[in-house]
Amino acid sequence: MKILKTLTIAFLLTAIAPVSAQTADEILNNYFENTGGIENWKAIKGIQFEGKVNFQGMELPVEMIQTKDGKSMAKASFQGQNFYQNVFDGETLWSTNQMTMQEEKSDAEATGNYKNEINDFLSPFIDYKQNGYTVELIGKETIEGTETYKIKLVKEPVMVDGKEEQDISFHYFDTENFVPIVVEQEVKSGPAAGMVSQTKLSDYQEVSGLYFPFSILEGAKGQPGGQAITITNIILNPEVDDAIFAFPVTETNPVIKE
Amino acid sequence: MKTFFFTFLTALSSLTFLQAQENSLKGKELFGNMKARHIGPALMSGRINDIENHPTNARILYVGAAGGGVWKSGDGGATFAPIFDKHAQSIGVVKLDPKNPDEVIWVGTGETWTRNSVSVGNGLYKSTDGGNNWKEIPGFENSERIASIVINPNNTDEVFVGVLGALWSDSEDRGVYKTTDGGKTWNKILYIGPSTGVSDVLMDPKNPNVLFASMWQFRRTAWGFNSGGENSAIYKSTDSGKTWNKLINNLPLGKLGRIGIAMAPSDSKIIYAVIETGEKSTNGLWRSNDSGNSWEHLNNDFGLTVRPFYFSRITVDPKNPDIVLKGGLTGSISRDGGKTFKNLGNMHSDIHDVVLDINNSDIIYSGTDGGVYRSWNGGSTFEIVENLPLSQFYHISVDNAEPYNVYGGLQDNGCWYGPSSAPGGVTARDWNSVGYGDGFRVLRHPTKNIIYSEMQGAANVWRYDVDRNRTTTVQPQPKKGDPELRFNWNAPMAVSNFVPDRFYMGSQFLHRSDDMGDSWTIISPDLTTNDKSKQDQANSGGLSVDNSGAEKHTTIFTIAESSLDQNIIWVGTDDGNVQLTTDGGKTWTNLTENLVGIPKNTWVYHIEASVHGKGTAYAVFEGHTTGDMKPYALKTSDYGKTWKTIISEDIDSKAFVRNVQEDYVNEDLLFLGTELGLYVTIDGGKNWSEFTNNMPPVAVHFIDLQKRTNDLVMGTHGRGVIIIDDISPLRQLTPEIMNKDVHFFETKPFTMTEDSDFSGSFGAETQFVGENKNTAAQIVYYLKKRHTFGKMEIEIQDIQGNKITTLTPGKSKGINIISWNFMTTAPKMAQAKTLAFSGFTALRVPAGKYKVVLTKGNETYSHDIEIKYDEKSVTTLEQRNEQEALTRKLYDMVEDLAYMVYEINETQTKATEIIENYPKGKKDSQKLYNALENLRKDLVITTGDNYVASAEPELREKMGDLYSNVASNFNKVSGASKANFELISEDFSKAKKRYETIMNKEGKKFNSFLEKNNIEKPEIQSKEAFLKRG
Repeated sequence: MKILKTLTIAFLLTAIAPVSAQTADEILNNYFENTGGIENWKAIKGIQFEGKVNFQGMELPVEMIQTKDGKSMAKASFQGQNFYQNVFDGETLWSTNQMTMQEEKSDAEATGNYKNEINDFLSPFIDYKQNGYTVELIGKETIEGTETYKIKLVKEPVMVDGKEEQDISFHYFDTENFVPIVVEQEVKSGPAAGMVSQTKLSDYQEVSGLYFPFSILEGAKGQPGGQAITITNIILNPEVDDAIFAFPVTETNPVIKE
Repeated sequence: MKTFFFTFLTALSSLTFLQAQENSLKGKELFGNMKARHIGPALMSGRINDIENHPTNARILYVGAAGGGVWKSGDGGATFAPIFDKHAQSIGVVKLDPKNPDEVIWVGTGETWTRNSVSVGNGLYKSTDGGNNWKEIPGFENSERIASIVINPNNTDEVFVGVLGALWSDSEDRGVYKTTDGGKTWNKILYIGPSTGVSDVLMDPKNPNVLFASMWQFRRTAWGFNSGGENSAIYKSTDSGKTWNKLINNLPLGKLGRIGIAMAPSDSKIIYAVIETGEKSTNGLWRSNDSGNSWEHLNNDFGLTVRPFYFSRITVDPKNPDIVLKGGLTGSISRDGGKTFKNLGNMHSDIHDVVLDINNSDIIYSGTDGGVYRSWNGGSTFEIVENLPLSQFYHISVDNAEPYNVYGGLQDNGCWYGPSSAPGGVTARDWNSVGYGDGFRVLRHPTKNIIYSEMQGAANVWRYDVDRNRTTTVQPQPKKGDPELRFNWNAPMAVSNFVPDRFYMGSQFLHRSDDMGDSWTIISPDLTTNDKSKQDQANSGGLSVDNSGAEKHTTIFTIAESSLDQNIIWVGTDDGNVQLTTDGGKTWTNLTENLVGIPKNTWVYHIEASVHGKGTAYAVFEGHTTGDMKPYALKTSDYGKTWKTIISEDIDSKAFVRNVQEDYVNEDLLFLGTELGLYVTIDGGKNWSEFTNNMPPVAVHFIDLQKRTNDLVMGTHGRGVIIIDDISPLRQLTPEIMNKDVHFFETKPFTMTEDSDFSGSFGAETQFVGENKNTAAQIVYYLKKRHTFGKMEIEIQDIQGNKITTLTPGKSKGINIISWNFMTTAPKMAQAKTLAFSGFTALRVPAGKYKVVLTKGNETYSHDIEIKYDEKSVTTLEQRNEQEALTRKLYDMVEDLAYMVYEINETQTKATEIIENYPKGKKDSQKLYNALENLRKDLVITTGDNYVASAEPELREKMGDLYSNVASNFNKVSGASKANFELISEDFSKAKKRYETIMNKEGKKFNSFLEKNNIEKPEIQSKEAFLKRG
């Protein structure tokens, strides 16, 4: 009889929960609450993702590290070579040139924009008010066949080819469980400018009490294909030597005084 | 207790079941991630209604298309992206908030250049986030067409909206509306009457209390147009719209037609007006230098007076009040304040709007019947924007080629055909012109490489011999004793399903030719109402006679020969008749009286003769030319004796219907082409769902279902050709399936196509490129619920259950479609200084059956699919076996080499460790290291980079290239490859021998040193572990 009661209550709760969440803040609170608690999210200092990307029949191992103090590194390995992407030590953003296999710095605008991106460690919604961001509940929308809350997030402006533009993204939270399942953002420059990038999140799994999406599919809205990243392991607060983020000083990369 | 628990669960699940059944047969989730693709074309683009530039950022430009939505450019018009794809696609006006132009955008729907073929809008919309999200502003639901939006630059919550209103009926929704709270509440502040709408509204930005409005009395019917009346006039208010005065000083009075007005941005006292008066002495351009108090008549040239209902836009240069541009057949420009004009440079004719760059008046954007054009030299030469797929099809058809072609005719842009897929995507150069003027129906001869096409009103019907490049005109013509033939502007034609050379056309009579149009026989009486009062087109137009032929009425509009019996032909007319012959035209039955719920004389837009029964047919009706926008579609199963509606309340009440397409297999699966998008039913019309996946609510004028591929091909009037590939999963969808957690749909065997993919995307950087049909295997499954928590994976296995590859699963609720490109995995390449690009070549599977295995949490679901070789292949099975065997051999050889290099690398690492730490072992270790290094240098590249600083290829590169060459080829293994294989096998054998020798000699000494000193041997993984992926 006790089980029945508990079940009934659980059933009622699920039925009621979506109705009661009416503001963006309530939805975000539910999200953090359902995925481990906001204080636990805030306690993380660094994170390491291990996973694989499927590329033309090859599964390439990838590794990503981010720290709360704004450093990051992503690495893919292929034929024993390491390709670095989005490596950032707080000042310099660099990656591997695939022709020469040498490290190259990103342009100033990209670096500036990245600095504003990487300061949203784990989620831009953590302490978003302190960061000066705004959120707005646009309404309910069916995406991936599923009813979601569509939340608009406005962050620090980005620079696009010399002009400042607003940084707006849309986050779709499943009304049933309050986790984001899709993120959309307009592509501001490059050949896909004007199109909307769409990131689909799924395969949420628990890591030390927190829930992370283990499957990330990035593509362009309305376009076929996309690139899937499958996470195989997440390490919270990994031990990281800061040297890995620094732009390497080598024979071919002498220190250039700035 | 246990029982109770079980009962509870059962009750719960049956509850879900009931609920699911109720909701299951409609809704967006039905389609999951099944999605439409757009193939354009964009090379002729489509009609533009309005262009709006950003007040401060010259890079940003918005285009409101007549039938194709709102598009934004951030690069000065080089490329555009659609931003209004969830709402009506017929656009009247786009306006940016002057204070906050990056965020606040207003869109008034409903095009305003009121030709016969215009679509309809459904209200006013506002975005407060740069066009990402739109809210409909209540109060304008019945506005039909919004011509003007002006915003007070000092207080942008104060907005004025000019509603032109309904084209085909009276409407009290017309007039000027005002809000002072950003759109929450509105007052109608200027209203003249139910037949007089607002053409333009102006505001003096220096004194926002000063407003001008031009009012226009007009009406269109299916058979005529009337522009002009006593109510047309210019009004002025100086108190923000509280009171209005009709301007009469020096201006023409009496019956006036359309009036376009514009204010010079650099001097708001200067107002230009083009006034339609019908009198040469007063027609055309007027100018006021004192804010409308007095006026002077300046110009009545053709360019200033041509077709005022179609061209009344005036634009004044932002800096120079004397530079004036006007839309028109060619567009006109004056540099002397409107006294004299010259034509704008060559571009598509019919210019509806022109705007100048905010900083540089040399740059001019022009919106035409054929897209947006851009001038860099003040309007002398124009180039087309190649990025706007706004083509406006009246009709489409398909053939059975591989890939199949799509044929169709366009508003003011002739007739075309192009492939549904092309190497690199469907580009401008893939389309072929097969007709001039306004194009309508284009049909392919069933057996010969001959195309029939037509221009407006069957003025020309062409029979085009594609192979010989010869054109003959073959339209039916009256012979002695015949009355004058009345052809619709969009004259119907049909080819026979039984007699290949048979060709039908409809005037008021049905014409049949059995020799491809060389000679014609009339096989019916006049099938229309022949209402003479609807045949006076010579006097159509109102103040300016406009007898283009577009209003020809009381004509046949649709012809449907049954595919089951050539003697059964259905005919529908534009004045409401449904007629049937069952004896090849000897006798006709008028079925109109049997129709249910269709107002008298409602246009019969399409009849679909069913393949599911000789007496079965669908007919769709639309009454928009009387102001009746309701959807109508009927079905009969008894030769038209009785009809029943197949419309449900799911369909937008203003989505009038132009086409219906039945499925050839499942009689309950139907597709409805409406003015506001595509609807689908899987239960014969009880429930309908709007298809919105990459499918805007654009007017769908015609639908065809390609029989071989089951692709649904739509001719839209504003977004070109849109295709939903393979709709067969919808055939299989039932309530039972929708209640399964996972269900795989049956698919036909997939062909591994061997077509060359040479394309060359030269010049396509800023060109629209149509999306191709995916030629990979399509794995289609239904998920009852979106997968969000826990693991979900899909892998392909051979029939014995060995893993071949993994795929990225779709996780949507509803139908998911994922692709498999027939590839297994790429070989693991030996490590080197540089990349071996041959390592990107994966192994292709042989034809046969494969398992798709879906793992979701603890559950596993499996489904078999079949892969076929290309029937068009030139390769025999024996040659294929040889190719596959050699590919496999080379694949293994590449991995053997990779493992050998790995062993060498590990051994060298250990040797280095000894050299550095054990002086006693240094000599032997160094010997081993050096011997291995000499070998390694012959095996892999050890210097250079991945581009032009690359080193000479070594064994890895040579072996890899041969592997890649043989593996990616579909043809028999060439003699050269076989000889090369011998050479490489020999080289590899030698290398293996060398390795063995080294390890037996230097390696032995090294190993014994390790053993003696109790040092661990190099940690070398087993080959199996080394090759393990992921």
